[in-house]
Amino acid sequence: MATAMMAAATTSCSPRRAPAVLRPVASSSAQPPRRRQQPRGLKQLPGLVATAAAAAVAAAPLPALAEQMEKAALFDFNLTLPAIAIEFLLLMVALDKLYFTPLGKFMDERDAKIRAELGDVKDASEEVRQLEEQAAAVMKAARAEIAAALNKMKKETTQELEAKLDEGRRRVEAELVEALANLEAQKEEAVKALDAQIASLSDEIVKKVLPSA
Amino acid sequence: MNIIPCSIKTLKGLYDISGVEVGQHFYWQIGGFQIHAQVLITSWVVITILLGSVIIAVRNPQTIPTDGQNFFEYVLEFIRDLSKTQIGEEYGPWVPFIGTMFLFIFVSNWSGALLPWKIIQLPHGELAAPTNDINTTVALALLTSAAYFYAGLSKKGLSYFEKYIKPTPILLPINILEDFTKPLSLSFRLFGNILADELVVVVLVSLVPLVVPIPVMFLGLFTSGIQALIFATLAAAYIGESMEGHH
Repeated sequence: MATAMMAAATTSCSPRRAPAVLRPVASSSAQPPRRRQQPRGLKQLPGLVATAAAAAVAAAPLPALAEQMEKAALFDFNLTLPAIAIEFLLLMVALDKLYFTPLGKFMDERDAKIRAELGDVKDASEEVRQLEEQAAAVMKAARAEIAAALNKMKKETTQELEAKLDEGRRRVEAELVEALANLEAQKEEAVKALDAQIASLSDEIVKKVLPSA
Repeated sequence: MNIIPCSIKTLKGLYDISGVEVGQHFYWQIGGFQIHAQVLITSWVVITILLGSVIIAVRNPQTIPTDGQNFFEYVLEFIRDLSKTQIGEEYGPWVPFIGTMFLFIFVSNWSGALLPWKIIQLPHGELAAPTNDINTTVALALLTSAAYFYAGLSKKGLSYFEKYIKPTPILLPINILEDFTKPLSLSFRLFGNILADELVVVVLVSLVPLVVPIPVMFLGLFTSGIQALIFATLAAAYIGESMEGHH
């Protein structure tokens, strides 16, 4: 359709240029003259018929185009096919040697390295955890030791204190007992002395009350 | 009336830069065989671009990748991922094939869209993307067929051919037909898409030389990338299919 319109346009304004313009699309010098005749013939027709034939103008170049397509060797198989196949295989080998294998290997190695480093980091964190556990255990042991020592010291001090307390108490008791014993002895002495006085006094009283009976 | 010839002259100039000559080839004769020289030349350019950029970017890999290496590492990861998804765990040996398939088609397609081949004049025909020629796409498709046959036979031995009578022997003709339709569809899909893309751009440029074709050109770039991806993915899928075990 495009070529048809172009052909019509060029023939009406500058027929001389028509083959050149057609060339890129059709590239056939045999076709343009025949098509150029068609619009020229149509121009002589009365207006009514011309408009009716406008569709024919548009439709007419289609067979012509088909003819050109037949001439055009679109499906022209020849040595190009195996040549391209061999070129492709060579390109495949070259790209494999230069690109796919080396870069792929490089990428895989880097991948493995990164993975290994990540694994190392994970291992290191395990180590840190172990160390932390160790530290916690050490701290726990130290705390236990301190607590034990503290307890022991407390116990010893308590015992010492209690011993001293006991001793003091015992001494106090002993002194008390002694003092009480002294007191008792003095009491008894006093009582004895009083008894003797009482006897003498009663003798005197009797002597006084009973005049030499 | 002076303006029209003038504008036509500029149009002609734009045509000469942007035109596609469908099915016109520049022939070389090699030992009695004909060869499409324009395809060979552009494929050499594509191969040079690929090998050159790879050598520059990857010759001295760093642990922390820089620009070029980073890009190629990304591409390699992408290709590995693609192969792994399609083939499975045993994808390793197929990475070069799938990767080369993808890179070659991708760079070929984009070279057709981005490189100004028209600057170089040939006696006949014109330079375009190598994938613009049916020979290239059929060659790649046939290599894919060979690859999946090789994959199946090396993995399973002759019991590979049991797949033709599975699930029932009734499907034998269809299964055999599949081996022909696979390369056919692969090659024609790529060829048709790239050729159609270039033709659409040319037709649009011929109608409106400025601005309007730009979205279509971007669409073309997108299509080119997608087609490369499709070709590589399907190749990997066929290889994976012929390797997977039916238990």
